[in-house]
Amino acid sequence: MRINILFFASLRELFDKESLVLNIESKINTPIKLIEYLAKNDGGHWVSLLQRKTNIRVAVNQSIEDWNSNINDGDELAFLPPITGG
Amino acid sequence: MVTIQSKEFSLEHIANKVRGNNHNVGAVVTFVGYVRDFDKKDSKHLINMNLEHYPGMTEKVLQDIEEKANERWSLSAVEIVHRVGKLKPSDPIVCVAVASQHRDNAFDAARFIIDFLKTEAPFWKKEFTDNGSYWVNEKESDHKQKISWDIAKEND
Repeated sequence: MRINILFFASLRELFDKESLVLNIESKINTPIKLIEYLAKNDGGHWVSLLQRKTNIRVAVNQSIEDWNSNINDGDELAFLPPITGG
Repeated sequence: MVTIQSKEFSLEHIANKVRGNNHNVGAVVTFVGYVRDFDKKDSKHLINMNLEHYPGMTEKVLQDIEEKANERWSLSAVEIVHRVGKLKPSDPIVCVAVASQHRDNAFDAARFIIDFLKTEAPFWKKEFTDNGSYWVNEKESDHKQKISWDIAKEND
């Protein structure tokens, strides 16, 4: 399935990109499974993201969700560093 | 109503807009947040900051906060304006304006909205100082402030 990944702020700088489209197996159906899979197979910045996950929130289709929530084909998955507006 | 913009806003314009032509409005409360330089003890100065956000989600989250405020208090109108892009010390960043029949609801709702905005709306500040640049860390006190509203609701 196709997942559109978005990076913001410090994570955008870390990955040096704003977005990324991934084609993954449909059994990788939660944000946590996805980053564990990528950290294991691609390594690199995904390992740092996995290590920082307690400070990072995920948004699926622009709604804050749990790391264990479901992701489906065509979803927009964003990794959000600590929020500092206002 | 929610507005995200890079240009400066006029407090007077927002206050007039939130009041509208509604003769039942007896109170308008406005909050403005400004870019602040560091404290003296930090021994550094802010040159400017860049504010980025998650277009689409930001508006959705702020509209949701506005709806929650409307469910909780009887309000006539709400205006939330947040700036993005490059800002320098003393620039206004955010404005929350609430109109209601009586002042208590307007005061409480304005505080509620800014407290939730601080912890829920996807904005990020990068500060450029005379001692390097970095992404701002979230504040524990902002989270406590937000949680206090949940406790207040349970006690209602």
